[in-house]
Amino acid sequence: MTGHALQVKDLRVSYGPKRAVDGVSLDINEGEIFGLLGPNGAGKTSTLSAIEGLLKPTSGSILIRQVDVRAHPGLAKALIGVQLQSTSFQSELKIREIVRLYAGLYGVPLTKSAIFGRLTEIHLGDEASRRFSQLSGGQQKRLSLLIATVHDPPLVLLDEPTSGLDPQARRQLWDRIAGIRKSGRSILLTTHSMEEAQSVCDRVAIMDYGKILTVDTPAGLIEKHKNDPNVLAVARGQVTLEDVFIGLTGRELRE
Amino acid sequence: MSSVSEPSAVRTPSVSPPLRAPALTEIFRALLEADFTVQLRNNRALLLSFALPLVLLYGLFAGKRGLALGDPQFRVASALTLGMASIAILGYAMTVARDREKGVFQRLRVTPAPTWTIMTSRLLVQVAAILAMALVLLVAADLFEGVSLTAEAYLLTLIGVIFSSALFLSVGQALAGLVKSADTLNAVGRIAYLPLFAVGLFGQSTIFGTTFELISRWSPGGTVETLLSGAMNPSSWNSDTWLAVAVSTAYSVVFAGIGIRWFQWGAR
Ligand SMILES: Nc1ncnc2c1ncn2[C@@H]1O[C@H](COP(=O)(O)OP(=O)(O)OP(=O)(O)O)[C@@H](O)[C@H]1O
Ligand SMILES: [Mg+2]
Repeated sequence: MTGHALQVKDLRVSYGPKRAVDGVSLDINEGEIFGLLGPNGAGKTSTLSAIEGLLKPTSGSILIRQVDVRAHPGLAKALIGVQLQSTSFQSELKIREIVRLYAGLYGVPLTKSAIFGRLTEIHLGDEASRRFSQLSGGQQKRLSLLIATVHDPPLVLLDEPTSGLDPQARRQLWDRIAGIRKSGRSILLTTHSMEEAQSVCDRVAIMDYGKILTVDTPAGLIEKHKNDPNVLAVARGQVTLEDVFIGLTGRELRE
Repeated sequence: MSSVSEPSAVRTPSVSPPLRAPALTEIFRALLEADFTVQLRNNRALLLSFALPLVLLYGLFAGKRGLALGDPQFRVASALTLGMASIAILGYAMTVARDREKGVFQRLRVTPAPTWTIMTSRLLVQVAAILAMALVLLVAADLFEGVSLTAEAYLLTLIGVIFSSALFLSVGQALAGLVKSADTLNAVGRIAYLPLFAVGLFGQSTIFGTTFELISRWSPGGTVETLLSGAMNPSSWNSDTWLAVAVSTAYSVVFAGIGIRWFQWGAR
């Protein structure tokens, strides 16, 4: 046992001629919450997609708990829980049926009352017979997090789990994420929020143009880059994580 | 609860992680249950795939004009063909395109379910829908239009229906493969009714001349109509019927090939 929930080595992903991920290496420890930061189009979702098996990397290796994703896709997918950046479910299904479907796909048959219990835990008990499209954005995010963890996976991948949430819902989701970690699982999440990175992540990577620029604890990143001239040029007073982010990735607007 | 002296290497999840990929039977049970539910709630597709062929059946037997199109078995086969075309286009291709656009497939694909099971489950549900439609139609033809089949013919017809559903569903697969957007597919789907159904209506008549009759007879719809009318009247089964079996197999292989080769799971 190396104690790694995820090991990514020299990952490259291309869409035709466009290279979206360009040599990314990451190690995520067991029980760790790891944040992936980067401007729009940096390659965060593409990196996650390769780990999830949604797209085939041009090169590189991915191990989830020592299981090679390409050699054993079925087993690897059983070890991860996924919340996609944008997702949807069959519009004809009620949300309790959606939970039942996904539990079944992971080989975790849930009884009616077990499903209702899980929905009640996330305050969706009254919505059990509604359709996904009838839920609010925050309710949709809660449901997709529930589905991502329905099989208690050792590694959870969350792509912008709190985007579009109000401050209350965001705090609640942070608590849930912390709760997932407490039970020994590891989390890889992407976010555009520096506050989120600082308050929930043990370690953070900043990526841009398909490459990881730096990895450390949030405090470590500030410490490491606080004297970088690019960072100092954008800082207004004491150097913050956002100053480091903008200093390293530049001021121009992305796609 | 904070762990005091527990070394992180032995910290274990509260629930033991699933260290196995789920069995295919578990995956299929979950997928089939969901896909059947979706099918039963898809009112538009249900209505069209059951009501359209019944209306056509009535129309083909109501006046004298239906007689010009062909014998009673051929006319029942035409109604069956319309039902199969509707299920393949509306029940299958359209829902696949719509779900793809919404990202439903990408969410399913990050589960341990192998991708072929996701499609196979949907196809099985459509075959079941086609069989149900065929039974309703054959019973209606018997009760209201006096087209009764021997037990042997019944069996042969249902086998023929399952066989032809391969052709129609592979056309549906090809449509979903070649046309990416659900809106475009909605339009293209209407046009697809022509080769799949309308052209074949004239496979037994020379109303539009002999060249058109030939095209009509060997169009996808016409081929299936020949095959099914042969099955409904086994004593009339001849070399043309066998040829129809071969031609519809060829259609299925070609369209399935196109549909699998060009299919994309994501909208982007
Ligand atoms: N299916 C696709 N086809 C072509 N190019 C793509 C595709 N998906 C992503 N890209 C491109 O790859 C690059 C990386 O995109 P990706 O979605 O991984 O970025 P991201 O870091 O997740 O961005 P965001 O913060 O906006 O979600 C971008 O330049 C994007 O335009
Ligand atoms: Mg993204």
